[in-house]
Amino acid sequence: MAITDPVPDMTAQAAPTGAGLLVLLAAMPQERLQGVLANLAASFPAEGLLVASPDALPPDSYPTLRFVAAPATSTSWTLHAADFVNAYQLAEQNGARAVLMLGPESGSLDLSALHSLAYAVLATEAELAVSCYDLPLYAGLVNSAILYPLTRALFASPVRYPLAPDICLSLRMAERLAGAAHRFTAIGEGEAPLWPVNEAMVAGFTIDQFDVGPRLQHQPTGPDLNIILPLLTGSLFSDIDAKAAFWQRFRPLPPVRNVVPMPRVPATGAAADIAPMLQAFGLAYANLQEIWSLVLPPSSLLGLKRLAATDGEAFRMPDNLWARIVYDFLLAYRLRTINRGHLLGALIPLYLAWVASHINLTAASADTESHIEAVAAAFEAEKTYMVSRWRWPDRFNP
Amino acid sequence: MKKPASATDPLWYKDAIIYELHVRAFADSNGDGVGDFPGLLSRLDYLQDLGVTCIWLLPFFPSPLRDDGYDIANYVDVNPSYGTLDDFKAFLDAAHQRNMQVMIELVINHTSDQHPWFKAARVAPPGSPARAMYVWSNTGQLYKDVRIIFTDTEKSNWSWDDTAKAYYWHRFFAHQPDLNFDNPVVMEEVLKAMRFWLDMGVDALRIDAIPYLVERDGTSCENLPETHHVVKTIRGAIDADYANRLILAEANQWPADVRPYFGDGDECQMAFHFPLMPRIYMALRQEDRLPITDIMAQTPAIPDNCQWGLFLRNHDELTLEMVTDDERDYMYIAYSNDPRMRVNVGIRRRLAPLVDNNRRRIELLNSLLLSFPGTPILYYGDEIGMGDNIYLGDRNGVRTPMQWNSDRNAGFSKCDPARLYLPIVMDPIYGYQAVNVEAQLSDQSSLLHWTRNLIALRKLFQVFGRGSLSFLNPVNRKILAYLRDLERGDGSRETVLCVANLSRFAQPAALDLSSHAGAEPVEMLGYVPFPTITDDPYVLTLAPYSFLWLELHPPTAKPAPSSSRLPAS
Repeated sequence: MAITDPVPDMTAQAAPTGAGLLVLLAAMPQERLQGVLANLAASFPAEGLLVASPDALPPDSYPTLRFVAAPATSTSWTLHAADFVNAYQLAEQNGARAVLMLGPESGSLDLSALHSLAYAVLATEAELAVSCYDLPLYAGLVNSAILYPLTRALFASPVRYPLAPDICLSLRMAERLAGAAHRFTAIGEGEAPLWPVNEAMVAGFTIDQFDVGPRLQHQPTGPDLNIILPLLTGSLFSDIDAKAAFWQRFRPLPPVRNVVPMPRVPATGAAADIAPMLQAFGLAYANLQEIWSLVLPPSSLLGLKRLAATDGEAFRMPDNLWARIVYDFLLAYRLRTINRGHLLGALIPLYLAWVASHINLTAASADTESHIEAVAAAFEAEKTYMVSRWRWPDRFNP
Repeated sequence: MKKPASATDPLWYKDAIIYELHVRAFADSNGDGVGDFPGLLSRLDYLQDLGVTCIWLLPFFPSPLRDDGYDIANYVDVNPSYGTLDDFKAFLDAAHQRNMQVMIELVINHTSDQHPWFKAARVAPPGSPARAMYVWSNTGQLYKDVRIIFTDTEKSNWSWDDTAKAYYWHRFFAHQPDLNFDNPVVMEEVLKAMRFWLDMGVDALRIDAIPYLVERDGTSCENLPETHHVVKTIRGAIDADYANRLILAEANQWPADVRPYFGDGDECQMAFHFPLMPRIYMALRQEDRLPITDIMAQTPAIPDNCQWGLFLRNHDELTLEMVTDDERDYMYIAYSNDPRMRVNVGIRRRLAPLVDNNRRRIELLNSLLLSFPGTPILYYGDEIGMGDNIYLGDRNGVRTPMQWNSDRNAGFSKCDPARLYLPIVMDPIYGYQAVNVEAQLSDQSSLLHWTRNLIALRKLFQVFGRGSLSFLNPVNRKILAYLRDLERGDGSRETVLCVANLSRFAQPAALDLSSHAGAEPVEMLGYVPFPTITDDPYVLTLAPYSFLWLELHPPTAKPAPSSSRLPAS
């Protein structure tokens, strides 16, 4: 069962000794690497700590730290299948009991965050420790709109960032993830995302989640939304399909996250402009009806029709409509109702409509988390709809 | 080089959905009128979408094809009509990539009389090793009380060979001489052939005609202790060198006689449950559960690592060997009013024609197949309700080409129709223009979609493949009700209540579920909550030929009802 913990006060807590901790770093520029190493040196006793990085490590900068070379993988905002294979191999080769995986820009994490993640696995029964970030306003919305509510509703996991790039794994968890990752690396798809939270839930492993505060986000240089959204949703949909026998059996819902309404700070000073999103949705509404009608039932299509008739500040997508849309796309993905690439492409304008609605809903208070929790609750409420559609996917439905 | 097993779970066969097909009948890639491995490979996506997890291939080895390939002339090659060994390997790899296992035939009771071993045996001197590959007699009087299996064509189990100047033993057709397992060379050759395919990555072997491997005078020559020694030797050789492989016994015997083929879990992991199949049809026609509950009561427990193989139809006749004389007479009258529908001791008809093409009956029988304890085995074409052709000889009426679409030759082959290995079914009810995969794929209400959905549902619940069975006994005998229960390794439990109405009319059922009082049933197809079970009889009303699968949730685990309200405006 997963719980969310605040970062404990580590100043009074003794650091674990004989930790057997492997820290696997993502590739990053030298100056940032220096910062991360400084944090590590300050957080953990040198004995029992091993740092693995694909980058050349600065000679003699940290004589107390032990280093090992990690295979190079592509730098990304999230972890890939190949990263998990490397993590397990390095951990096993070096006798580590836990692997702390830190993504790009992890130097921006607080020292206590690193300590909490590692300590949870080394000193408690948790097999997986994940980060919960305090991100800027409207950051990480694909996660908020789809990844988080889906994994929460189906896998009964309260983990807010299921693809968090900063996590800690037990050796057992690392082995399981390496096994799952091997399916991808064996066919040359080492850059496929992996879903540690889902794996842990299926395995019955304990997950610990920590509020780690703000974090700089790695800005992807190449891919835009048209690539990222199909990549992530496609990957998650596949994982959900593969684990259907698990999540379809009844599971208690995770405890509701205790969200304290808190205005968030925009990443930039500019106010979010929803006009291009509404334009994209309107254009898609005019052109994608044929595809949407293959995927969505009449009630959802009617909801979209109403939505298309509103604009500007009045634009609101009901949470239950959004939940059903995502569920129906998931079902169509499983059934290969249409080409999966086209299917996920057809989800993008609907996602933009959700983003526009989300911005409108939260514009006054900037309290996005409350709305995101309401969306997650809608996904949970509509899970029965999903299960019934999954089990008997007749197109003749309401 | 030996390939590792494609399955990671040693008990994979317990959760499997097996699909039986003949390469010859499935898809023809080169337009010669005969199905082949490239054709089959091109249809793997169809099987994967259907939910199949294991493909059982009927014999595809070089053969004179006088018994549809069960007369093998070379154990370690592919019949050129179906492709090459490389074609088979490509198919095998493609199946494994789709997480499907592959089962092939190990037909070791007999060979073709065209096998080089038999050709050599005929001219070899009596007593020589070459001669001793088969069972010979100078008189034809040995084992004279042993029953004849193919009663329509064979008058004796012995046939005279003019070259050898002796009689040879055959339990099946005269052109299929039985191998002599008293000769150790036979076992060596069988193991060599077996390893040839297992090394390639084949996952499972169906041992054909397993009760007849060894002969002893004064016995029925069936199910002998020496036969079990042969089976144990084969299993031992597999366990010594291979992981996660399966052997399935074809033993058309009573359950108590089949039970020894599981041994102590050290013979076959699977065996067909032959007597259950005709009794399912009998129960349906009589609208009475007794034939089913009776045969299940006679079914002994089997070792934990073993499993029954269940089927509604297969490539042979609906065998009536394992029924009483009265039951056989009833089945003939009920299901084969035309004598051409009968062959040997059985009925040569497909599933849909057997039940007068009634969709609800087909669904009901499939619901039993998929919810009874065992691994379901589907026969190709039954998922779309294919018909048969009783005017074809032997059992060929149920071995016609797969009907893919309404194009020429049903999309099976591009050849001249006259060149097909067997004619396509063309009658107005079951003909390929009415019954084909393409049409049913585009029809959301088709039998194909229904079958696919039910298979997918079954696969979500391990209890169907691994759970225990206990019958309920409602007063109304037209109702068949049973509980499947599984305690999972993680401490949780799966309990499913299955209720079937065997009648053509609506029926009431009052079930004693007091031992589950407090549980909350959820109808599994639609995820619909049903009233909570109490100490009182649980009353249900079932439509004609309908069935219910209800998952029993513990009291605190009730899901919220699914709503279908319009989104808020």
